[in-house]
Amino acid sequence: MITLDSITKTYQIAKGNSVPAVRGVDLEIDRGEFIIIVGRSGSGKTTLLNLAAGLTRPTSGKVMLEGTNLWDLSDQQQSFLRSQRIGFVFQFPSLLPTLTVYDNVILPTIFCGGTSNGAEHARAAELLDKVGLADKLQAYPRQLSAGQQQRVVIARALMNKPQVLLADEPTSNLDEQTELEIMELFRDLHTSLGITIVMVTHTRTLVSYGTRYIEMANGLVVNGKA
Amino acid sequence: MNLFQLALKNISGNTFRSFVVALCALLLAAFALFTTLLLRGAENSLRLAIDRLGADIVVVPEGTEAKVEGALLMGVPTKVWMPQDVVKKIATIPGVEVASPQLYLATLTGASCCSVSNMFMIAYDPQTDFTITPWLMQKMGKGLRLGEVVGGSYIFPSEGYQNIKVYGYLVTLKANLEPTGTGLDQTLFMTFSTAQDVSSKSTTQALAPLEIPSNSISSVMVKVLPGSDLHAVSAQIMQTVPGVTPIESANMFQSYRKQMTGLLKTILVVMGIAWGLSIVLIGLVFSMAANERRKELGVLRALGATRRFIFQSLLAEASLMAIIGAAAGIFIAGLAIFLFRNFIMVSLGIPFLLPSAGVFTLWVGAGLLLALFSVNLAALLPAIKISRQDPAVAMRE
Repeated sequence: MITLDSITKTYQIAKGNSVPAVRGVDLEIDRGEFIIIVGRSGSGKTTLLNLAAGLTRPTSGKVMLEGTNLWDLSDQQQSFLRSQRIGFVFQFPSLLPTLTVYDNVILPTIFCGGTSNGAEHARAAELLDKVGLADKLQAYPRQLSAGQQQRVVIARALMNKPQVLLADEPTSNLDEQTELEIMELFRDLHTSLGITIVMVTHTRTLVSYGTRYIEMANGLVVNGKA
Repeated sequence: MNLFQLALKNISGNTFRSFVVALCALLLAAFALFTTLLLRGAENSLRLAIDRLGADIVVVPEGTEAKVEGALLMGVPTKVWMPQDVVKKIATIPGVEVASPQLYLATLTGASCCSVSNMFMIAYDPQTDFTITPWLMQKMGKGLRLGEVVGGSYIFPSEGYQNIKVYGYLVTLKANLEPTGTGLDQTLFMTFSTAQDVSSKSTTQALAPLEIPSNSISSVMVKVLPGSDLHAVSAQIMQTVPGVTPIESANMFQSYRKQMTGLLKTILVVMGIAWGLSIVLIGLVFSMAANERRKELGVLRALGATRRFIFQSLLAEASLMAIIGAAAGIFIAGLAIFLFRNFIMVSLGIPFLLPSAGVFTLWVGAGLLLALFSVNLAALLPAIKISRQDPAVAMRE
């Protein structure tokens, strides 16, 4: 479904000074997989996830989404594809603080031409019910705990029925119990919806939730099947 | 939810930023509207006053131009005199169609009749007058009789009375002229015979008599023949009649025009500085806000927002804040002008007339557009910069 072909990403820090974040990685993400990417901080795993989503342009190599090179597309086409096919869960609090839980969840529908209608409302309510926050529709993010906020983010990521869910250290800011709850939620989404999940984490114990794992170090895949 | 609703929610959620931007828009729009109303109102007033006088040339005693202009424009009574025979001299000058004399008089200070402490009165000669009489003929079908007067728009009898008492003499107010925003609005117009009658009876009926020097007049209103050269006629008056100054209508109120030009220059400089500072301030606020919201905007890009959406969303927020601020500013400026117009007239020493509803609406629209343009201009650079940023980098920082 997503193919990273000899992908390299180098960040320019200052004139003549660059840092290679990902170095010539090949990765094939197939439909229905639950891939865990592990590695220490600075190993290049988040950059790899961003490259897979087309959020940053590779220095070299190709990112193919179902046979289409993402970087051959216009910004509009790329954004549309992202809104329809990819769901995101971030490490940091990513809910818009000025919007209610409901508005945050339906936010992605704006970007694929959605209108505020009954179907969207029903979908948002269903997703919030699935993540156990059906009663928080009108709450604001500041009124929720970190774990609850991350559940809302997961509901938002699923709003446009994406084919793949990309999660960047979704449990790093959570306590152990909440981490387990969120991971169980991911496992449930994977099995019940059949959604492809690619999750980045530095916690090796979470590897057991995936169907496959990859370990990264210094911008290279050092362990696992790429 | 759409782009507009998202922008609206972002505005309400960032009160400080919204307040600063809206305040800048408020000040810009209020200042622009206030000064435009003031200057246009003054200009309009001058034009109407010249139209009301209706003369191509006003001849006044030499050296009294400023006094006469002050009386006509600001309603400050003045008494200036010149020999009556100048009328005949002027009337015989080639190019002069009509020459009509006027007397400039004043009520007693603090008279009970009047809304102002010292009311200006103009007496005209109905035989030759071409300024008030045509208006009266059109309005009432006849001229004024003995004891009858017409007043400016601010002249009215005391409540419960039909007449106005001037030097103990009861005159009947027959009509009111349309407002000009000048001293003519608080001026009483009467015929020579009424003025002479008031003067003769005032010796016994008033605390002080109304003195009109014999064989004297205050000014001569001159109408030139169509096709005649106004400058040539003026020059001829200067040469033929000693001790007088002819003021051509285009040059009337020159000192006030100069005052207004000076005021306009000052206002333009202040406004230019205020505008520039507002643009910089709004730009800074937007840059700061865009930096603060870098992650948030990166998230929107990750969720599928295009660069154009981010750009449009930021400008939509700017526009909404501009409209809200400008609307408040326009309301405040309009209210201030309406409530304090008399105070402003006296303080700045300029006449003023409120514009018509149509013109006012036009200026309100211009004020809104100025605020919209300015705020969007200030927000443009941060919006371009943030919308072009790599979302992954934006979310990382």
